Amino acid sequence: MGNRQEIRELCQRFAAHDRQALSRLLTLASRGEQLEEIRHLVGAARAAPLDGQRGSPSRRVVAITGSPGVGKSTLVGRLIEVLRHQGSSVAVLACDPQSPLTGGALLGDRFRMPSRPEDPQVFIRSLATPGGRGAIPEHIDLMVALLQAFGFAWVILETVGAGQGETAVRHVADVVVLLVQPEAGDDIQWEKAGLFEVADLIVVHKADLPGADKVEAQIRTLVNLPGCREVPVLRVSSHQKEGLEELVKQIEILASQSRTSASSAKARLRDLLRERFVQAFEQLGGQAEELVRGWEEGRLSDEEVFAEVIERMASSSPSAN
Amino acid sequence: MSTATERSAKERWEQEVAQAMSRPQPPTTVSGVPIEPLYTPESLPGFDYDAELGYPGQYPFTRGVHATMYRGRLWTMRQFAGFGTPRQTNQRFKFLLEKGQTGLSTAFDLPTLMGLDSDDPRAVGEVGRLGVAVSTLDDIRQLYDGIDLEQVSVSMTINAPAIVIMAFYLANAQDRGWDWKKLRGTIQNDILKEFHAQNEFVFPPEPHVRLVIDVIEFCTRHVPQWNPVSISGYHIREAGSTAVQELAFTLADGFHYVEQTMARGLAVDDFAGRLSFFFNAHNDIFEEVAKYRAARQLWAETMRHTYGARKEASWKLRFHCQTAGCSLQDKQPEVNLIRVAYQALAGVLGGCQSLHTNSMDETLALPTEHAVTLALRTQQVLAYETGVTNTVDPLGGSYFVEALTRQMADEARRYFDRLQQQGGVIAGIENGFFRREIAEAAYAYQRDVDAGRKIIVGVNAFTEAEEKPIDILVIDDTVEKDRIAALRAIKAARSNEEVRRHLDAIRRTAEAGENLMPVLIEAARARVTVGEAINAMADVFGRYDGAAKW
Amino acid sequence: MYLVATTVPPSGESEIMDKPPVRIVLAKIGLDGHDRGIKVVARGLRDAGFHVIYAGLWQTPESVVRTVADEDADWLGLSILSGAHMTLVPRVLHLLRQAGLEHVGVIVGGIIPESDVPKLLELGVARVFGPGTPIPEIVEFLRGRTPAPSAS
Ligand SMILES: Nc1nc2c(ncn2[C@@H]2O[C@H](COP(=O)(O)OP(=O)(O)OP(=O)(O)O)[C@@H](O)[C@H]2O)c(=O)[nH]1
Ligand SMILES: [Mg+2]
Repeated sequence: MGNRQEIRELCQRFAAHDRQALSRLLTLASRGEQLEEIRHLVGAARAAPLDGQRGSPSRRVVAITGSPGVGKSTLVGRLIEVLRHQGSSVAVLACDPQSPLTGGALLGDRFRMPSRPEDPQVFIRSLATPGGRGAIPEHIDLMVALLQAFGFAWVILETVGAGQGETAVRHVADVVVLLVQPEAGDDIQWEKAGLFEVADLIVVHKADLPGADKVEAQIRTLVNLPGCREVPVLRVSSHQKEGLEELVKQIEILASQSRTSASSAKARLRDLLRERFVQAFEQLGGQAEELVRGWEEGRLSDEEVFAEVIERMASSSPSAN
Repeated sequence: MSTATERSAKERWEQEVAQAMSRPQPPTTVSGVPIEPLYTPESLPGFDYDAELGYPGQYPFTRGVHATMYRGRLWTMRQFAGFGTPRQTNQRFKFLLEKGQTGLSTAFDLPTLMGLDSDDPRAVGEVGRLGVAVSTLDDIRQLYDGIDLEQVSVSMTINAPAIVIMAFYLANAQDRGWDWKKLRGTIQNDILKEFHAQNEFVFPPEPHVRLVIDVIEFCTRHVPQWNPVSISGYHIREAGSTAVQELAFTLADGFHYVEQTMARGLAVDDFAGRLSFFFNAHNDIFEEVAKYRAARQLWAETMRHTYGARKEASWKLRFHCQTAGCSLQDKQPEVNLIRVAYQALAGVLGGCQSLHTNSMDETLALPTEHAVTLALRTQQVLAYETGVTNTVDPLGGSYFVEALTRQMADEARRYFDRLQQQGGVIAGIENGFFRREIAEAAYAYQRDVDAGRKIIVGVNAFTEAEEKPIDILVIDDTVEKDRIAALRAIKAARSNEEVRRHLDAIRRTAEAGENLMPVLIEAARARVTVGEAINAMADVFGRYDGAAKW
Repeated sequence: MYLVATTVPPSGESEIMDKPPVRIVLAKIGLDGHDRGIKVVARGLRDAGFHVIYAGLWQTPESVVRTVADEDADWLGLSILSGAHMTLVPRVLHLLRQAGLEHVGVIVGGIIPESDVPKLLELGVARVFGPGTPIPEIVEFLRGRTPAPSAS
């Protein structure tokens, strides 16, 4: 699949704003095929935007995360309505876990995102994430870039957040929105508390249900603990269509901050460094085991190990894995 | 109780069982419940005849709701019918009455079931196909033309727009001079199972339930012999549930309606006696019989002790029964006749009040007259030739059946607890609980069949190389055109001004939270259509797109 | 015994393939809400390693085709039990062709009278499956061929 001739043709069709070509390229990217060409294509499009999107509004990439059933897809469906009403185009990448055993997946998110088939300004793609719960698909950054290059002003990612995936989400998204919902019963389990650290915005979703007050109060005490970042908390009900405009407004504000604010950029760079460093270490392969042994036996100092990894990091391109 | 000799007999038996050949798969019911090789008094520890069984017609009604059951009166043989135009269905009704059927059952087409008129663009290709198309009062008039509605009991299988159709029915009856107090029949009007299983709903669960209660309230006051709801497990089972899920979810739905009606200020004893039920009759005879018996027990117990009903009528669970459509196969369709006969037997051994037997060709198309006649004959043979009607609850006291009945009731209670924990029936709909449970059961069943752990004759065993085709009914495409033309003519003749006034009244009443039946009856007379009435309500209630995931 | 031959490993045991997963959109078109069959098939295909995009109930031909396009699906499975298949399926096929998606294979499941099956195949449907078709049969069919239907 995807010989040189074919990919060249796809790229041309993409440049001519052919939606099917976009769809096909997304598939290739998701499978890690033809990455070089696609990167090139995206880069070229960034330099010279496609027709119809000169002077287009600033781009937004928003991640909507939260436990299964918290209402992510429903909310994304509502956001599509609101954004379309405001005249913005929207693309969605909806991620669901894939079975580690069979590789199969049941992708049912778009089902909850009613879209009008005659509206070309909405694009929804379902993705299976091999890494299990919480992970995001490989090359999602490239898929986002493709959608942006094609002209979608907003790209929304739906992911189940509760794993190592959240920091990865931060690299692609300007704003990470975490959904929580009122729970039946008295004891609310905040094992997701770790998630609060990556969230830029917390939404108490299904605010039409009893118990929304209580959850909101609990979250506010949690996020206002000393030493925590200040995180806005909003109440939204997708069923009652309440709080949606406010949510969009908050996302806008946070997105513009996230670009300008140095502290946030610093945080993102810190995450990136951490990840690359670990990645480089793992890429050392057999050499890594030797390093480990040497370090354990005291033959190698910390500094010596770091130097090895840093050297590796400098010499490898990020896509090499 | 076991003496030395008895014990040795038992031991000997156990030894023989251990040595004997047995099937590779341990036997289970259709629902996958393991079954013991033998049931004895030991299977029923602490069994108390009076508390658990009692006498037929008496609390807790395990053995039946009437003292004499079929010795007094046979069940009502009621075959579901409807297709094409109201006139065509009217002819089928008259044909069935001539053949000896004792009650009518009306099937509506999909557009009508979804609250759409025949001329709605979404109805294209579906008008009059799976049932009769009804959009206006004139359609109802034609549908029951020439049938004495004070004599024949009429059942109408419709849910989302049930209140509108009921309003049409009452307007027609009144216009024709029939006395509402003498009308007998049932409207299904059970929206909850639509959310669990059949997906014919329009509004969100809460306003939809409110409409159900409007019908119950109105009929309680004005149409006292009518069953304003038929709380249905049938479709839950068809969607793939187990027998226990069918039992538990149906009763839970029933309890929800009782609570909501009481919340309207009606006394439980004023309406509970008119609540009726509708269960599936699947292939596993004993599992089904146990299900019906457990249902009666659980309902009686809860109505009496939880809701404080005092009248015996309020404790009695009366039910209609239909053989399992999902058990019918398109391979060797005549074999379906045999399945249907055994399923009907289960329904009758379980004490049903009325019965529909499916036709053998229903997996292929709508039934032909020949197939419908055979299905009815199946009931007649059962009633008049087999002797199963000669005594009340002939399986009562069987160690096996009593043990299964107990087991069913216990498992249903566990489901009630689980529902309570998640906040009740509506919460269970919203969070997808019902649908998940049912879909997982359906998938487990299919895997058993695919792997040959469950045998289906003619499908994964005893197959024929050549299938012999049987005649099927073909609906001609003129129906859709006919209906659209008829509807256009009615719309052209009515006063649009008047229609607008009635639609406003519907919106206002919906907004105010008052009973919608009176305004709908008036609207019917002004030829407001089903679709228009539903749209007016949707303006207030909204539409439900939470067609839950799995 | 006398059972159907299951050439496909039972669910849960299928190997992870090196080939990219096959993507199939499953949808119900028309008004009927009987989704037992489509949900069972969705689970069965998932457990056989497919990526199943479940589009759900009440889809129109237009919305189905849009989904197939945006999801870049290899197959489209339509479930229909209402008898409206001769109205709706040809419309879907027409729209697919119009959108340049003739490479997508279409299978149809549900209650389809024997006499309509050849007509649907003629129109470009790759296969019609009756109610209760064993899942392994569907899996085997989908694995056994490339999607391109006779229409191309
Ligand atoms: N009461 C209430 N229920 C909601 C609301 N939004 C969504 N739901 C319900 O929550 C359930 C789950 O919604 P989804 O949108 O599928 O949730 P999700 O987080 O995308 O779920 P997964 O993709 O499975 O992780 C559905 O039954 C929705 O109807 C809301 O605002 N209020
Ligand atoms: Mg989702």
